Amino acid sequence: MMNRFNHLPTLKIDTSEKIPFTFKGKQYYGTKGDTVATALYANGVRIYARSLKYHRPRGFYSMDGECSNTMMEINGVPNVRTETTWLKPGMVIKEQNVKGSAENDLMGFIDKMDWAMPAGFYYDTMHKPAKIWPVAMKQIRKAAGIGKLSPDHHMPGKYDEIFPTCDVCVIGGGPAGMTAALAAAQKGLRVILMEARPWLGGQFDYRTAEYANRQTCHERAVQLAKEVEKTDNIRVFTHTANIGAYNNNLITGFQIGTEKDSFTERYIELRAKSVVVATGCIERPLLFENNERPGVMQAGCALRLANTYGLLPGKTGVFSIGHDLGLEAAVALHDLGMTIPMIADIREDGQDPVLLKAVMDRKIILLKGWVATEAHGRKQVKKVTLKSLDGTAEKTFDCDVLVASAGFTPLTGPLVVNQAKLKYDAHTNFFLPTDLPKKMHAAGRLLGYENGLSIEASGHLAGLKAAYDCENCSIADLGEAKKAMESKPGPARGTKLVMAPVKGRKTFICFDEDTSIKNVKQSIDKGFDVPELIKRFSGAGLGPGQAGIPGHNLPLFTAKYQALPDIKIRPTTVRPPLVPTLIATYAGTNHTMLKRTPIDDLQRKDGGIFRNIGVWQRARYFSKDFTSRKEIENVRNNVGMLDGSTLGKFRIHGPDALNALQRVYVSDLSKIKEGRVKYTAMCNDDGCVIDDGVVIKLGENDYYFSTSTGRAGQTVEWIRYHTRYENWDFSLVNLTDAMGVINLSGPNARKVLEKVVDIDVSNDAFGFSEYKEFKVADTIPVKAMRLGFVGELSYELHVPSSYMKALWLILKEAGKEFKIKNFGVEAQNVLRMEKCHVILGQESEQRTNLLDIGLGFLWSRKKTGYKTVGVAALTQAEKDNSRLKLVGFKMENNGRAPRDGALIVDDRVRGHVCTARDSFSLNEAVGMALVEGDMSKVGTRLAFYEDECNGELIYGTVVETPFYDPAGQRMKM
Amino acid sequence: MALTITCPICGKRNGYEFRYGGEEKGPRPDEKDLTPESWCDYVHMNKCVAGVQQEWWFHRDGCGSWFTIFRDTTTNLEKETPEAKE
Amino acid sequence: MKDIKRYSPVEFKVTPLKIETRDHWDVVMEYHNEGDGPWLVDLSHRTRLDLQTGNLDAKKPFGITIPATPGQSVLENGLLINRMNGIQSSIYHLAGDAIEMPGETEYTEITEASVFLAIMGESVFAICEKLSALDFMDKNRETPFLYQGPFSHVPCQIVTLSREAEKSGVVLTCSRGYAKVMVDAILHAGEEFGLKPAGEKRVTDWISSL
Repeated sequence: MMNRFNHLPTLKIDTSEKIPFTFKGKQYYGTKGDTVATALYANGVRIYARSLKYHRPRGFYSMDGECSNTMMEINGVPNVRTETTWLKPGMVIKEQNVKGSAENDLMGFIDKMDWAMPAGFYYDTMHKPAKIWPVAMKQIRKAAGIGKLSPDHHMPGKYDEIFPTCDVCVIGGGPAGMTAALAAAQKGLRVILMEARPWLGGQFDYRTAEYANRQTCHERAVQLAKEVEKTDNIRVFTHTANIGAYNNNLITGFQIGTEKDSFTERYIELRAKSVVVATGCIERPLLFENNERPGVMQAGCALRLANTYGLLPGKTGVFSIGHDLGLEAAVALHDLGMTIPMIADIREDGQDPVLLKAVMDRKIILLKGWVATEAHGRKQVKKVTLKSLDGTAEKTFDCDVLVASAGFTPLTGPLVVNQAKLKYDAHTNFFLPTDLPKKMHAAGRLLGYENGLSIEASGHLAGLKAAYDCENCSIADLGEAKKAMESKPGPARGTKLVMAPVKGRKTFICFDEDTSIKNVKQSIDKGFDVPELIKRFSGAGLGPGQAGIPGHNLPLFTAKYQALPDIKIRPTTVRPPLVPTLIATYAGTNHTMLKRTPIDDLQRKDGGIFRNIGVWQRARYFSKDFTSRKEIENVRNNVGMLDGSTLGKFRIHGPDALNALQRVYVSDLSKIKEGRVKYTAMCNDDGCVIDDGVVIKLGENDYYFSTSTGRAGQTVEWIRYHTRYENWDFSLVNLTDAMGVINLSGPNARKVLEKVVDIDVSNDAFGFSEYKEFKVADTIPVKAMRLGFVGELSYELHVPSSYMKALWLILKEAGKEFKIKNFGVEAQNVLRMEKCHVILGQESEQRTNLLDIGLGFLWSRKKTGYKTVGVAALTQAEKDNSRLKLVGFKMENNGRAPRDGALIVDDRVRGHVCTARDSFSLNEAVGMALVEGDMSKVGTRLAFYEDECNGELIYGTVVETPFYDPAGQRMKM
Repeated sequence: MALTITCPICGKRNGYEFRYGGEEKGPRPDEKDLTPESWCDYVHMNKCVAGVQQEWWFHRDGCGSWFTIFRDTTTNLEKETPEAKE
Repeated sequence: MKDIKRYSPVEFKVTPLKIETRDHWDVVMEYHNEGDGPWLVDLSHRTRLDLQTGNLDAKKPFGITIPATPGQSVLENGLLINRMNGIQSSIYHLAGDAIEMPGETEYTEITEASVFLAIMGESVFAICEKLSALDFMDKNRETPFLYQGPFSHVPCQIVTLSREAEKSGVVLTCSRGYAKVMVDAILHAGEEFGLKPAGEKRVTDWISSL
C-alpha cells in the first residue's frame, strides 16, 4: 500500500477510514473518498485491463472515464467505469478481457499480430469463400466486446427517476458554471446546477496555482461552492452526468447516489427555460508510439491523483506537454517529491512566465519544441524517448510515469446534441460551437478561456443571458457584463501538434477500439477519407468512451494526412447518451400502470387467471383448462357471471348531443325511444368500422352509451375531433370507471335476477333489447339492459363502481341454487363466436368496413345532412365486390379448428381466420374468417395454412351463420 | 420526446401528452355533390410541407381540447401561439 | 339482507384506528401509527361532480363563482371548484356537510369515476417531482390551482392547495381503475420521505387550516 498525502488542502480522501474490498479474490483496503481506480492504484495496480483487440496492457490514463482502460467488473456488473465509481465496502472487483490476468494475459501475443489485422480486416477477408463466414463469425463474436453478462442477469441496486423543475439549468459545476448559476439566481430565478463529479469546483478544485490576489484556484472554488450552496434558489445535483440535451431545452442526466440516498442511480429529466453549458475541457491525447502504455497519463490525471487522492503517481516522471497545466502539474508534483528529469513542451513560446520561473527555480530541465516519441517497457513505462519537433535531436530518460498531453479539448457534447454546429478555430485549435440553439449558452474554458477571471466573467455573462431569456434581466445589465468580459484576457492560444514525428504503427488514436494511426491511414487509403467514415471503418470513437479520446485528434489528423489546406473536416457527430448510461437507470422506477376493475380481488380469489388486455388486467380463464369448457357449458346450461367493467361508458348531454351522436354513429339515433337499447357502430372516414356499442336515451338530448373496451380511451377525442369545426354545445362525461358491469347470462339468469330486484323482470315486463333502471336490495342503483352477446338470456347490469362488490356477492349468493359460476373473457369469446357476434379488432382489421362484416344493417341510408363519419366511403364501397367478406365455416371430417390468424389459400392468399374454436356447444370445430368475395358463398371449400404446418393444409367449408341457435330464440326467452 | 406543444388551455407541455390530429384542412365538405375523388382528397391528401404548417393536436393527458398550432416540420419547433379552440 | 357496503378502490395495508360509517362507506378517520407526515389520504368516498355546458359562466354551483381562467381553482366552504377548460368544471367536496346533487342536467356525478387522493406535508413536492414533470412550484400560479396532466404516467387532475411549508399539499384524481398502481407509485416515491397512509381527519383539519 502506497503512502498517501494527508496534508493537502485539496484532498477528498480521509486516510483515517479504511474501506475493505476484494480484487481478484484477495482482500485489499482503500481509503474513504477513493474511487475504485484510485484505491487500486494505491495498492500498486498499474495494469487495469487488456485492450479489446490486441490485448495490450492498459492503465490509468485520464480520470473522468474518457476511455475503457480502467473498466472492470464490480459485483457482477461488467464495464463499470472504476475512475468515476466510489469505492464501497465489500465490493468484489474483477478484471475484464483477460485470459489469466491483466498483468499476465495469455492473449498478449495478439499485439504482435497487428499486421494480420488491418482496419476493417474482417470486412475484407472473412467472406471469401462464403463458407468461412459462419466459422469466422463465431470466433470474432467470442473475441469481440468486453465484459460478460449472463442472459438472466438481474441488475442489483435501486433505480429511481426525478423530473425537477427550474428556470435555468447550468451544466457543469466549475468556476464558469457556478458563476453562471449565481448570476441567474441573483435575478430571482430557480436554477439547477448539474456537476458530473461528486463535488463542485471543476478544474479549480484540484489546482493550487494562484487564481488572483494570492487566492489559490482551490480556495476560489471552495468560496464559490459555499456561495452556491447557501443560495436557496440554486439546486445542486452533484455526481450527475449530463447525458442529453434536446429541442426546447429538454435536459437529461443521471445521478449516482451516495450512502445517504435512497437510490443507486436515478434518471433526471428536466425542461429549462434557458440552459448554460459550462462543461469545460478534457485533455487532448498526445500521439506517439505506445502512447497508452500503463504509466502514461494526462497532466490533469497525474495532478488529481496527487492533489485529490493523495497519491504520488510515480517516483520519476517525464513530462511531454503542450499547455500551462502541464507545467503547473510538473511544479506541483516536484514539490510533492517526484523526480522530474525533463519537461518537453511542444510550444516554442507563450508559456506563463510565472510558471517558467517556478520551473527554473526548481532546476527542472525544460526543452521547448520537444515531444515524446516513444514509451518503452513491455507492460509499464520504463523509459521514454523524446525528440525535437523536427526529429533531429533525441534524448532518453528512465522513468515510471510519463505525463503526456497535447493540450485541451472542449466538451461541447450538450451543445452539439442540441443541434449546435462546430467550427474549427485556428487560434485555440478547438472546434468551437457556433449557431447555438435558442436559449442555450456556452461559457468558460470550453470557449478557450484559461484565465480564471475570464472564465468567471464568461460564466457571469452566460448566467445573465439565461436570465434575459426568462425575462428577468435588463439589456443594460447584459451590456455591463459583456463589457466586463471584454476587459479580461481572451481565449488562450492552443497547440496545434497532432502527432509526434513517428510512423504510428503502435500510436493509438482510440484506446477503446484499438485503432492506431496506421489503421486510420489504411482507412483513408481505402477511400474512407472523412472522420465519419473512418470512424465506422476503423472503429475509432465507437467505444464506451464516447469518443473522449479520439474525438478531437481524428479530424485533425485526417486533415493533416490528406494535406488539406485548412481544417475543413468536421469532427464526428456526438450523440446521446454523452456518458455511458445503464438501461436500468433509464428505466428508473419502471411502474407498469394497468387498470383493475372494482371486483379485481374477488375474481382473483375465485381463481381467475389474468391477462393484460389493453390498459386493463382482466380475468381470462377461471381454470387451467384454457378451452374454458366448464365455464362455457355452465353459461349454456345454467347461468354465468362475467365482469364486463372495462366496457367504455359515457354520458352525452347538451343542446347538440344528438347532433354529435348522429355525426359519429352510422345509425339514425333520432328514432330511439326511451327504455330501448339501440345497438350501433362507428366508422372512420374510410368506412372502416372502429367501434360498436349501445346507445340509450335518458332524456331529451341526454344519452348513455357504451363503447368497446379498447375504444374507451379515445371516444371523447374522436367525437370532439369530428365536430371540431361545428361550435356545437354538447357535454361528454367519461363514466367508464364510474360504472362496473356484470354480465349475467344463461337460461337461469332471470331466476337469479328476480330474487334480488324490486321490479318485474319477466319477459313481458323486461323484454329483449329493453332498458330498465332499478334498485337491488333497495340500495344499489342499477342500469340494466337485455342483450344477447353470448346468445343466451342475458342481462348487462351497470352499477356504480363502489357498489360493484356488493352486487356481485348478492348475485353470487342468489345464484347458488341455479349453479351460478364465473366465466372469463375467453369463455365469452367462444360463446359469442358460436353466435357469430363480432368483436371489432378480431373479426375486423384496419381495412374492414361496416359492410364487410355484415353490419350494413346498422347504417341508416336515409339519414342525411349530418355528414356522418364514414358514410361517403361506405356509399362508394357498397358497389365494390372485390372486398373481403366475413363468413362462417365448419371443419371437414370433424377436424380440429385452425389457429386464429391462419391463412386461407389456394394458389395465393385469399383471406384469414379471425376466430375459430372446437365448439363444445356444437360438438364440432367452427370459426369466422375474412375471405375474398368470390369465396364467401355457402359451400365453398376453404384451405387453411398455419404457421410451420409444413405444407399440410386443413380444410373447411363456408356455412350459414350463426352456428348456434340460428333462430335467436334463446336470448329472447 | 423533446417536442413541446403549447395548449391554449394548459400552456406549454411535453409533446407526449398530446395526440396528433393531422394538417388543418378546413371543415368536412358538404355531402351534396361529393365525388369519391374529392372525398379521398379531403381525407387522405396532405401537403406535407417542409416548413411551417398549421396542424391539429389533442391534449389527451390534459384538458381534452382540440386546437391547432403552427409547427416548423424541419425543426420540430412551434412557431406562434395557437388560437384557442374548445 | 345484511348491510350493503360501498368500497373504495384503495386499500391501505395498515390497521384503522377509527372508522365512521357514512352513506354505506366505511370511512377511516385515523390509522395506527400515522407518523409525522407526509401523509397520503384516500378520499374516494368524497363526492365529485362534473359540470359541463357551453354556458359555464352563467353557472354558480352551490352559490360559488367558477374561476374565469382554466387552471384556476377556488376553495369555499369545503368545496373545491376547478375550471378545466372553456366549458367544464370539476367540483370536489372536501369537507363539511354532504352536498345535494343539483337538479340541472349539466351536472353529472363522477364520484365513482376516479380515485381521489390527498398528499400532504412539507415534502409533498419532493414526492411529486419523482412522479411528474409538472411544475408545482411555478411562481406564476396562485394556489389553489389545477393541473391536468400526467402523474406517474397516468392522466390526472391535480390541485395544489398550498405550498406553505407543512401546510403544503395536493389533491389528485385519476381514473378509478388506476387506484392500486397509483397508490403504490405514490407510496414508493414517498418512502424516502416517510410518507404514510392517514385517515380522513388529517384532510379535514388541513382544509380548515387553509
